[in-house]
Amino acid sequence: MLLQTVFLAFFGLAAIWFAVVVFRTSSMVRSALALLFSQAAIGTMFLAMQTEFLGVLQIMMMATEMAIMAIFMVMYMMDPGGLSGMDMTHQKRVSIAAGVLGTAVAVGTALLVDWGPIAGVPRPGAQVHDLGIELMERSMLIFETAGVTILTAMVATTAIAIGPRGPRGGVDD
Amino acid sequence: MAPLYVALLVGAVLFGVGLYGALSQTNLVMIMMGVEVMLGGAMVNLVAFWRFLHPETYSGQMFVLIVMTVMALEMAVGFGVGTGRFRAKGSVEMEEARDLKG
Amino acid sequence: MSALLAIVALLAGAYFVAVLEGWASTGRFRPAGPVLAGLSLLGRESVVPRRPDRIFFEVAPPLLLASAVLAAAVLPLAPGLIVADLATGALFVNAALAYVMVALLMAGWGPDGAYAMVGGFRFLGQLVAYSMLIVMPVTAVAMRAESLTTTEVVASQAPLPNALYQPVGFAVFLVAAMAVCFLPPFDLPTAPGELAGGVMAEYTGWRLAMMRLARAVLVVTLASSIAVFYLGGWLGPLLPPWAWTAAKTLAVAAAMLFVGRYVPRVREADLLAWCWKIGIPLALFNIFFVGVLLLVV
Repeated sequence: MLLQTVFLAFFGLAAIWFAVVVFRTSSMVRSALALLFSQAAIGTMFLAMQTEFLGVLQIMMMATEMAIMAIFMVMYMMDPGGLSGMDMTHQKRVSIAAGVLGTAVAVGTALLVDWGPIAGVPRPGAQVHDLGIELMERSMLIFETAGVTILTAMVATTAIAIGPRGPRGGVDD
Repeated sequence: MAPLYVALLVGAVLFGVGLYGALSQTNLVMIMMGVEVMLGGAMVNLVAFWRFLHPETYSGQMFVLIVMTVMALEMAVGFGVGTGRFRAKGSVEMEEARDLKG
Repeated sequence: MSALLAIVALLAGAYFVAVLEGWASTGRFRPAGPVLAGLSLLGRESVVPRRPDRIFFEVAPPLLLASAVLAAAVLPLAPGLIVADLATGALFVNAALAYVMVALLMAGWGPDGAYAMVGGFRFLGQLVAYSMLIVMPVTAVAMRAESLTTTEVVASQAPLPNALYQPVGFAVFLVAAMAVCFLPPFDLPTAPGELAGGVMAEYTGWRLAMMRLARAVLVVTLASSIAVFYLGGWLGPLLPPWAWTAAKTLAVAAAMLFVGRYVPRVREADLLAWCWKIGIPLALFNIFFVGVLLLVV
């Protein structure tokens, strides 16, 4: 229990620190990779809470996603290297107030509610098996809806991103 | 008890940081990154609730899988929209996006 | 103790792969080649570019080495010889190999040089092409083993190795594995004739030695994963289990290295088109085929 608390605290602080670096740094690629390491720290927190499948999945997915995000940042941002020192924020006081308020509400809820007894956890092998059974039996409708949603999103994104036909854009093959 | 509180605290602070980022940034890509951090905090809370309070019902882990899927999808669609906007206007700054036309 | 044996085996495999790679690219078999090359690199001056992104420049070679070693840590060499027997071992290999991408992106952006950046971003295009192809065949393998544990995957191949049971998946995974460790013909990030070394162009001295070592360990890891997932790991009639693992891994590594001599470098656009239009339907057909075999036969 103590070891679990220590690991959770360490990786939680790493996740928070990297998330703050995302918005404080002015280099865009550093921002994307800091977000990657923040999500990887969250994935390691999942591993510390003994949900092995979710932790490994989070670490794998976020590496690929954030690397692709780094490419998009270099494509679309005005200052990818971050050396010109522009300030790219607005409504600073409102957003800091909203962030602090959100944190306070969540922390208050976490500390004031009586959560009940702590339960033991099954073995990782049994967890993977039971998660698979749950996916295929009770949550099959959710799973299929998620699959159709993914397909729709892929088609929609490709349709938006291809662009109009003619001299300005379109598919060249 | 202590690990549960540590995890919930971390989730709360991540949510606050993500909310600050989503509200204060002007660029579409940075706003999406704020939303990603918020969803990460929500996932930490979800896994903590599953692990410490209800490890026998696997719908908790299903929910986390769906949230991960949603994170990937909203990033993909967001970048598609950003590509379209960049082609039309030349930048993805949200301060300039005041008209519905174009 | 078993962890130490596994690390020693990994380093020995990396040495063999370096010798084989030297033989494949120069045509001369020099058994002491890697030792001499490593010593000469360590003795040379370490030149740092003028304005690098320091964090990325320093972190990229160790991250490449760490991701390759982590991926090898869940692959079994013999029935008891595994560093970490995770319950989700087959998925963990892919998770660790995803950080090869992160390391090469850092190595591309860090040195603030044109060749490195072009190499790093080309590898991202390669990642978009191979990332589906390296995960889907593993799904079919896990379907047959009814578990994600790598030792279970090997044990499930006792009747028939997966290379014969799911040949389509084997071919797809082989191509994707060559793309992950950026071997020719998929060597877009380093591109020796075109990008002057690409992502490795701006590294000198001990950092270049670490990157080359990481590259050799990556090739061994992927060859070992092919041997575990498709060729039956340690299963075999006469020799002891570790000898079978070593023989299969080195045979696969030799095949991957020598085929690159005869195929020209695949262009980025062609790689993406072929992987998405041909590779993914083949991988989906493989999953369907294995499902039919498991449920009906």
